[in-house]
Amino acid sequence: MKSYPIEIGGVRRELPVVQVGDGVAVALLNLLGDTELTEAVAAEMAQRLPKQVEVLVTPEVKAVPLAHALSNRTGLPYIVARKTAKPYMIQPVTREVLSITTGKPQLLVLDGADIAKIKGRKVAIVDDVVSTGSTLKGLRELIESVGGEVSAVMAVFTEGTPRDDVIALGHLPLFNPEEA
Amino acid sequence: MVTMETYPIEIGGVTRHVPLHEPFPGVRIPLVDFLGDIEFVRAVTSELEPKMPSGADLIVTVETSSIPLAHELAASRDLNYIVVRKRRRPYMVDPIIQEVESLTLGAGEVLWLDRRYTERILNKNVVLVMDVVASGGTMRALERVVNRAGGKVAARMAGFHQGNGAEGIATAAELPLL
Repeated sequence: MKSYPIEIGGVRRELPVVQVGDGVAVALLNLLGDTELTEAVAAEMAQRLPKQVEVLVTPEVKAVPLAHALSNRTGLPYIVARKTAKPYMIQPVTREVLSITTGKPQLLVLDGADIAKIKGRKVAIVDDVVSTGSTLKGLRELIESVGGEVSAVMAVFTEGTPRDDVIALGHLPLFNPEEA
Repeated sequence: MVTMETYPIEIGGVTRHVPLHEPFPGVRIPLVDFLGDIEFVRAVTSELEPKMPSGADLIVTVETSSIPLAHELAASRDLNYIVVRKRRRPYMVDPIIQEVESLTLGAGEVLWLDRRYTERILNKNVVLVMDVVASGGTMRALERVVNRAGGKVAARMAGFHQGNGAEGIATAAELPLL
């Protein structure tokens, strides 16, 4: 199986290259469970985080440990945009996005109880990999719809087409499925 | 304005007034949320970490709300952790599929673990970590996943327990059913 080497803050990993859809394979970054890599990423990201940022918002699931670790280092609160509305949420606000990994519509949900922490604040979106940017677009719209100002997008990697609207620690290429 | 009843929970000097959720008429449970609350997660970790066995090799948890606690507990011992998923992911190869037997939820939830993670569990002393345990059904399913992957469960830990399904689970505190 092909893998793709990365290094962040002296921590090296070989990311497995896996097929995720017709005609495309990706190097699979999984921060879930990798305490050492997550902490190394958080340390690097904390240095690049613009000073004016007041609150972090992250999409469920894979970037949750990163948001937690970054919050730990910066003292900024973080909020998780969930993939489903929970029965206990108070007046949740939702946006639908198209997921690249599943190709299916995916919901992003903010608990109404969290909106007061976003409204009128400068927000940094924190994600693991920004690829097509569809999650990013949906999350940005969601944050702006509740009165937050997105002043930075932080990601471990951009993927596919390089983009200058994201503060990333590196870039991942896309692969042919034959390489997976 | 919506006025909302809350319930105070105090752990290691950190107090949270958490909302009460009513899953069935007449039953209200305090709703603990670890996502986004660093100070609270740290306080619970301080209570749980001493109860973790010394020979633990690995933490296994389940998505999503338990992830910050698992990360913090793992970091406190320089361990890694594995997150068992509640949905199949497209990149999973030959996953372990484990149904959760639940008395309260009716339609069973299903746990998924990518087969590529099983070699990290094989013959390892595993600590199971969850945020809140009620009937214990998810914890039992998590234990089966670890056993099927060839791991040994060294301890079961949860931030909080409510109800009466948590024999043999170490917790930071008990939550009442109101």
